[in-house]
Amino acid sequence: MRGNFFPAGDILRVKGRRHEAHGLAEMTTDDQLAIEFQQGSRDAFRELFERYREPIYGFFRRRLDNPARAEELAQECFLALLRNAKRYEPRAAFRSYLYGVALNMLSAERRKSGREVANDGQMPDPPVNENTDASVWVRQALERLETNDREILMLREYEQLSYAEIAGLLRLPVNTVRSRLFRARMALREQLAPVQGKD
Amino acid sequence: MSQTTQHEFAPEEVMAYLDGELDSARAAALAGHLEHCDGCSAVAAEFRRLSGRLLDFQIDGGAKHLDERVLDELSGVAPATARKANAEKPRRWRLAFASPYTWALAGVLIVALVVRFGIPNLLLSHKPTSAATEPVNTFDIPYLAKMQSAPIAKATAGAGGGGGEEGAIEAPQPTGPMIAQTASLTIIANNYDEASGSLGRLAASEGGYVQKLDAQATPDTPRQISATVRVPAKQLAGFLAELHKLGRVQQESQANEEVTDQYVDLQARLKSARASEQRMLQLLATRTGKLEDVLDAERELARIRGEIESMEGQRNLFAHRVEYATVDVRLQEEYRAKLDSASPSARTRIWNAAVEGYGNFADGVMALLIFLLNYGMSIVFWCAIVMVPAGFVWRWWRSRA
Repeated sequence: MRGNFFPAGDILRVKGRRHEAHGLAEMTTDDQLAIEFQQGSRDAFRELFERYREPIYGFFRRRLDNPARAEELAQECFLALLRNAKRYEPRAAFRSYLYGVALNMLSAERRKSGREVANDGQMPDPPVNENTDASVWVRQALERLETNDREILMLREYEQLSYAEIAGLLRLPVNTVRSRLFRARMALREQLAPVQGKD
Repeated sequence: MSQTTQHEFAPEEVMAYLDGELDSARAAALAGHLEHCDGCSAVAAEFRRLSGRLLDFQIDGGAKHLDERVLDELSGVAPATARKANAEKPRRWRLAFASPYTWALAGVLIVALVVRFGIPNLLLSHKPTSAATEPVNTFDIPYLAKMQSAPIAKATAGAGGGGGEEGAIEAPQPTGPMIAQTASLTIIANNYDEASGSLGRLAASEGGYVQKLDAQATPDTPRQISATVRVPAKQLAGFLAELHKLGRVQQESQANEEVTDQYVDLQARLKSARASEQRMLQLLATRTGKLEDVLDAERELARIRGEIESMEGQRNLFAHRVEYATVDVRLQEEYRAKLDSASPSARTRIWNAAVEGYGNFADGVMALLIFLLNYGMSIVFWCAIVMVPAGFVWRWWRSRA
């Protein structure tokens, strides 16, 4: 399990990995890989895919009740990345770009299915891990949060996006993101308080 | 987390610090503060604990089939070099269009094209016939039409300025104003029989002729002759003086119409048409081409010749109008009413009245019959439509009364 809180400067804004499997020995950032992929490097895409296949799947899985559909959407997300490589412009971090694509797909999926999870406040019906009580409690506590606050909290906690990245994705001011995040955490703490007391 | 007012740092700042979102100075200050502030440390611990709780929301399993389609798609992507070239193509175009040098080069090219092709063509349109009569390669009718337009314009301009090099075809230029003279007289003849007979002789003696003659002689009205006489313009005054001797002049008028402009214009058009005709003849003699083109050229030549003949006719008419004055003469008998003594007898008048009455009756019956045949069915139809409702209304009104 990955830790969520890091002191200032320690946050992993640039993810790196040794490319030994593909013959790339040095650490390469996501943005460098994205540029290499845009220029035609298949190995760069494979590396990016390896880095983000589980996070992107988790992004959809936490927000949708159907695991197969979540997997399809994750697949579509990478395929969109693959097909629209020419249009990628390295103005922002690759991670923001990727989650922007995923967020758009999620919105389209919600519109298409008519199940606006964000609007009616319903979280995915079948819990993602029924065997864990803690997981159920957390999911139910998240359900009770205000929709926008919940999205900001999940992007921060699970996708580990920075305030600026979240602000860019949701088209909100950074200070608004920070205050809403604080509000969401306070509300979540209230929701989880009985459980904590029980623990 | 409720101790915000007692501390230098708000819980939201503590949260931002833990998220790595505080600036370095503020983060350093808060880090120092956390070392000796139990309250803020508790807040930070609470945030950490909350974050840890959120991680309990784990997803089951993982993406099992995610790799298949994505990696299949990846294998179908074009090789690196080709993709690179494709990716850079639009960018190169964009850069090319964004560059001011590109636009400057395009501007220079446009100016060069205008100088090379536009200005010479402009000058060519003002050149005299030498440029327009350059040999042609094919027998093209639209091109011939262009060739015709140049001589026409030139001949028209030349006619106004005293003629060009091709101006001496025929038809001399007028030396002075061209005046078409006309006169009109109504004469009550002293001796009608003698005067009517002398009209033609007078015209012939002056070198003219009678163009039109119309005589009327109906009972109980004076006899009269209407004639149009053409006499040489120079003899007009003498001819009119001779006419005055025939009787009492009741009405007389004279008019002079200047036709110089019309004549000159017509002559110029005629000249240009003749030049076109000559050019067509030259082309037909020297050029070869398709049969269809030759036939088209022949047709064009026939059209030009038709125009020439028509204009020649008009020109001759103008010249004749100027050379011969037109005199409309109305010669009328001095009428004296005569007592009519031969009235029909009473018997004849009764018989005539009876015959006329029978004719009127027969005509009336016939007219009624024709009218009924023409409109009878329509009248019956519309009467039926109108009368039936009118009958109902009438009955209803009577029942109320």
